[in-house]
Amino acid sequence: MRAFALALVLVVALTLVVGVAALPPHGDPSGPVHTHVGAHYIEHGVRDTGLRNLVTAVLLNYRGFDTFLEVIVLFTALVAVLALPSATRPRRPGAPADDGGDRADAVPVSPVVFFVVRLLAPFIAVFALASLYRGHVTPGGGFQSAAIAGALMIALGLVFGRERAARLVPYGARAWLQALGPLGFALVAFLGWRLTGVFLGFPADEAAYALREAMVVSLEVGIAVGGAVVLAQLFMALDVRA
Amino acid sequence: MSAVFDAVMLLLLIATAVTVARARDLVAAVVTFGLYSLVLCLVWQHRGAPDVAITEAAVGAGVTSVLFLLTIAKTARTER
Amino acid sequence: MTLFGIDLDYVACVVLFCVGLYMLVAKSNLIKKLLGLNVMETSVFAFLVTAGMVEDGQEPIMVAGSAPPFTNPIPHAMVLTGIVVAVSVTAVALALIAQIHAHYGTIEVDELKELP
Repeated sequence: MRAFALALVLVVALTLVVGVAALPPHGDPSGPVHTHVGAHYIEHGVRDTGLRNLVTAVLLNYRGFDTFLEVIVLFTALVAVLALPSATRPRRPGAPADDGGDRADAVPVSPVVFFVVRLLAPFIAVFALASLYRGHVTPGGGFQSAAIAGALMIALGLVFGRERAARLVPYGARAWLQALGPLGFALVAFLGWRLTGVFLGFPADEAAYALREAMVVSLEVGIAVGGAVVLAQLFMALDVRA
Repeated sequence: MSAVFDAVMLLLLIATAVTVARARDLVAAVVTFGLYSLVLCLVWQHRGAPDVAITEAAVGAGVTSVLFLLTIAKTARTER
Repeated sequence: MTLFGIDLDYVACVVLFCVGLYMLVAKSNLIKKLLGLNVMETSVFAFLVTAGMVEDGQEPIMVAGSAPPFTNPIPHAMVLTGIVVAVSVTAVALALIAQIHAHYGTIEVDELKELP
């Protein structure tokens, strides 16, 4: 098995190195990577989309369908994890009891960790909000804010216990908040279809500038809130301390 | 100078990836994977991709490592 | 840096990919396999971002005072999507691994193959 694995890895490595050798060296601004679609987006991006952060412009406007499907993927992962039965039910009789090593005992939270998390949590929350709010002129945006807020909720869940951290996401609104990413995208895409005739189309004329901004902001908020809640729920679903 | 930084970071990436492969204790493997995520985030920041670096830093160490540790707590601690 | 005409940064990404592939194929523990899958995914992201990089390029954010050359924004968007998909796949795989352990008592593929 080991020899087969090494042979396979060597064959794949040689094939990839041969393929990579055919590429021009990276970093050259006149290479074919940068002179076709990339140059068009850099040149016309701000004018076409009204966003100064070109990565957000590519994510939400030029390649909006990719982002739409990707928030659906994230939501589907949560559905899949929640659809599995809880992994703490008793083993069927006859199954081996040995699990290959000591089951990691629940470690009590160290006071250092407790203090640091409590100290940093407000700043991390502000950073997540700032990343969302300033995401169109600085590095940031929907996904970054979702990752930071999700990681914050996971840290709070580790330190304070699952019951207290689960109250961050109110129970009644939980299902709607989890689906906020795909829902927000679907609503904005429908609105874009009604306005421009193209699904997820943004109105391009100058007079509709405010409406375009509102659509982009609602998409970003949907991605950020929906993504953060989905990441926190993934943590809650896998948490070992029932 | 930038080339030296690049070279050191890439060697560190490969070294941490090999360490993840060789670690028998799964918690050590996951912690080293968090270190790999951090070095990758620095590489991306150096390559002019701050958005990607923020996301990788939050997701790699914050979400993925924690999910791995939760599953290791439910299953086995060492690899056999 | 290039060596014999091959870009060494790309070769580093290929090496990482192969380390991840080895972990995925040769290790028997399911958690190790999943870590190998994650290493493979991140190596592909590193390759994409490296391909979109420009020497002394600015971040692709058009504020006052930013001047060309800019790094290409398209690989950044692809990698952001990829990171989210990677964490989704990892979460579902971890839930399945916990299920396998609760049901069979082991997460080593060698032992799972021996079970009736």
